[in-house]
Amino acid sequence: MHTDLESQAGLRRLLRALPEVAQQPYGFHEFERRALERERVARDARGSTRLLAAAIVAVAVIAVLWRLTALTPEPPSARGVAPTAVKPEPAPAERGTDGDRILDQERWLASLPREPAVVHVGTRAAVMGLQDRIAQLDDLLSSERDAQAQPARLQALQQERARLVGTLVRVRYAETLADNVP
Amino acid sequence: MSRLVDIVVPRDVLALACEGNRAARQSIYSAVAPATLTLIRRLVGERALSEDLFQDTMMLFFERLPQFRGEAPLGAWLRQIAISRCLMYLRSPWQRARMCLEPVDFGVAAEVAALVTPGFSADLIDLERALASLAPTARAVVWMYEVEGYSHQEIAREFGRSVSFSKSQLARAHARLRAWLEPQDERPSCTLI
Repeated sequence: MHTDLESQAGLRRLLRALPEVAQQPYGFHEFERRALERERVARDARGSTRLLAAAIVAVAVIAVLWRLTALTPEPPSARGVAPTAVKPEPAPAERGTDGDRILDQERWLASLPREPAVVHVGTRAAVMGLQDRIAQLDDLLSSERDAQAQPARLQALQQERARLVGTLVRVRYAETLADNVP
Repeated sequence: MSRLVDIVVPRDVLALACEGNRAARQSIYSAVAPATLTLIRRLVGERALSEDLFQDTMMLFFERLPQFRGEAPLGAWLRQIAISRCLMYLRSPWQRARMCLEPVDFGVAAEVAALVTPGFSADLIDLERALASLAPTARAVVWMYEVEGYSHQEIAREFGRSVSFSKSQLARAHARLRAWLEPQDERPSCTLI
């Protein structure tokens, strides 16, 4: 009957008696061939990783540029700031008196096609609604002037008309931008 | 300690190999490769996996050869690289998951038994089979402790585990190996440790 210690020592002796060289590996030529193969695979993997990284960077750059491009052209404000990226014709710039500015805005509107694009149903409805309200205001202004209305009322009507014209400019500018998108 | 540690490489051959001389490298390869592959095979068991790890080890060995300062025998340095590669594999999450999911392949026992050169005693063949039947971690622990001379502290450090992990793995491996080496009629049925 062996004690645990004797048994352990015997086991150790047996383990150490196992053949040190029990299996012959492949030769040096095969080792070199496998090493070259592994290097080639590693190189390919590195290349693929670089390509993937470059693609990710390119997509990120394109996304940033696209975002910047989308943000850069601001629609003309009610005060008539000129658009920066309009192909057909820029919206009127802010300059001179209110009357000059409104004239410029109206001239710019006149340079656009008479009918808004049919494809933009929502825009078309908005444009026509605005044009109708401006026309109504024009009629009202003419009537008030003929009736010698108070200057304060005339001024209020003028301001309302200017606001509507500004809104119309923004809507039509947005429409021209949408038309230029391929 | 394994005889890999006792392998002596002449200094001039070593110097040439460090400079990338192919003939010198071939000479060193011929001297150290068999013992290195056997060590790896004893630690991880499977033949294909052993060859993969052997290739890794030898590539790393030649890559780092210019850094070898000669403070320890070349074989000891190579042994350390080989054991590190094997333990890196055994510690990997992939291997741990595999060990949990797959039953031990007792076909490996027969494959490992083929390691023993014909003419060796039946005890050694039995021991080789018994070793192969151990779980990979237990086999590595018992080999490192009993043959390579690692302490429990060193084994625990290499595995990134506690000393008690090393001791319990060793105790269970001993019990399992002793059971294998007992007379046939007393041998228990195959159970995993």
